[in-house]
Amino acid sequence: MQGAVKCKGQQNARGSKMTELILAVPSKGRLEEQTRESFAKAGLNITRPGGARSYQGEITGSKDIIVRFLSAGEIARELIRGNLHLGVTGADLIYEAAENGAQKVDFASSLGFGQADVVIAVPEAWIDVWRMHDLSDVAADFSTKRERWLLVATKYVNLTRRYFARHGIAEYRIIQSLGATEAAPASGAADLIVDITSTGSTLKANGLKILEDGLILQSQANLVVSKTATFDKQQQAALQNIIAAFAKT
Amino acid sequence: MIAKQNSREELLALLTNSGATLINPATLLPASDYFDLAGEEFGRRLLLTDGADGSKYCLRPDFTLPIAQQHIKSAGNNSAPQSPAAYGYLGSIFRQRPAGPCEFEQVGLELIAHKDADIALYRVFAFVRDGLNIYNISSPKIRLGSIALFEALLDALDMPDVWRPRLRRRFGSTNAMASLLQRLSGAYEPNLDVEIAEEEPSREQLIKTITKQMLDDGLSLVEGRLPSDIAERYLEKQAMAAARVPKKTIEILRNYLAISAKPEIAIKEVKKLFDQAGLSLDTQLDIFQQQAQELSKFFPDSPIILELGFSPRLHYYTGLVFELSGENNKSLASGGQYDRLLQALGAKTAIAASGGALWVNRLEQEAAKCKGQ
Repeated sequence: MQGAVKCKGQQNARGSKMTELILAVPSKGRLEEQTRESFAKAGLNITRPGGARSYQGEITGSKDIIVRFLSAGEIARELIRGNLHLGVTGADLIYEAAENGAQKVDFASSLGFGQADVVIAVPEAWIDVWRMHDLSDVAADFSTKRERWLLVATKYVNLTRRYFARHGIAEYRIIQSLGATEAAPASGAADLIVDITSTGSTLKANGLKILEDGLILQSQANLVVSKTATFDKQQQAALQNIIAAFAKT
Repeated sequence: MIAKQNSREELLALLTNSGATLINPATLLPASDYFDLAGEEFGRRLLLTDGADGSKYCLRPDFTLPIAQQHIKSAGNNSAPQSPAAYGYLGSIFRQRPAGPCEFEQVGLELIAHKDADIALYRVFAFVRDGLNIYNISSPKIRLGSIALFEALLDALDMPDVWRPRLRRRFGSTNAMASLLQRLSGAYEPNLDVEIAEEEPSREQLIKTITKQMLDDGLSLVEGRLPSDIAERYLEKQAMAAARVPKKTIEILRNYLAISAKPEIAIKEVKKLFDQAGLSLDTQLDIFQQQAQELSKFFPDSPIILELGFSPRLHYYTGLVFELSGENNKSLASGGQYDRLLQALGAKTAIAASGGALWVNRLEQEAAKCKGQ
């Protein structure tokens, strides 16, 4: 309600200017297609009048909504900051964009595509390691014997820290990896990895196995509402309509 | 504001009067030093920034590390890290908090390489008391923990050796320790590779198998976990089904870690526990008792609690650790002995060290509250 009051003030300052709901959707590839499809199923037709090079669109018949085409990572970040009202992005990206990112948004609806698991994988040669508690022993042994931390390569820094903390593991360091994380153990950059996988075949091909309780997050594309953005009455009504449309699918 | 300025001057005077050299380490420090020393758990609390060359820096999250580094460096290659020094500081530290980044002011004293470690510790107590006095805080709640006593207990208890360092690493984290003890007391599932397990291989055979797998997957045989590390832990898991941590040992550890009481009572409980278990750890226990007694002389009006499971989860702490807190249980001051820090930072031998830091902003809040009442 606080938000509504704030926005009303803005609206007054600008006179009778219309305030649209800002919806962001992935700008490229499979994710964009699947987002359009799932919106279409809900009876919402996303158009991109300027073609693939334009980053602004609309929903047919809904003048009160502006569609922005952004990268999924950017959508997560801007939802948390409150610069977007609503967006389609992966749950993993929300958890990763900020340590308390998930508290700043509401997962309104999971969309059934973009499935991927964030998992912990160790070398298959570690025949003594199957579960997180094995890893906690190895981490303690390693820092005692080798006098360095166990190194974990990942781009999921926040998710990794939280999961390791939950399992009581403190003796490790994260090596940030922006791509081809699965190669890190072989290249000597890290001892194990936290990465995203859909079938596990890439991990297997790189001589890595997923720990039995090493599933950190089952992620998929979500319709996500920002809790930090301000909504006026009109924007709230537009949001309500979209969420209701998805509830019916 | 004038009152604030005055109390800062008093704090500085307190440091110089207690014989400390005032020291002001850089605000911007290489982040890797902290990551190397304390790992990711502490690292997540750093405020990081990047150099143009890609190197990572952090805003100073504490004073102890740069002061210890400076002590080692100032000594050069001679034996001078062994010559006693006292350092004092007053300045900002920076930490990430769930609500966002925060700047705090800290004042502290670090005593390095003093011959009598206990006397050094009591100097730190005196400094903490005098610091709190400036803010008219005379009876904070105090909790004390002993790392030396826990380590002595761990050495004396009956268990396979591999578990000692693993238990030690978990000391200071209630949850991590509880879940490890839970695991050790439950049914043991070796959860081994079935194909290999059925063959009951020797250490050599295992190493051969593991080495081949590592080479196939392009893993280094020298950089990370070695084939022998893996084979030994594999065999240990196999053996563990037969040779486990005895139930009695787990029971003693649980009871010990749960003790939290006034000094007389806590010491009595520990004594009883040790007697029942047939352990003779009188020397370490006497030291702890003595330290608690000395501390109570500095804070005669304070409720003191010996908390046997209390410790920071950082391996360089040794001996005694303490924490003083105010009305709302927020920490006002903390510190202890950290004899392993200088060696971890590159000194050739262990060097006795102890120190304490006060959270200036919280002292001010606490003082204001007391006045308000």
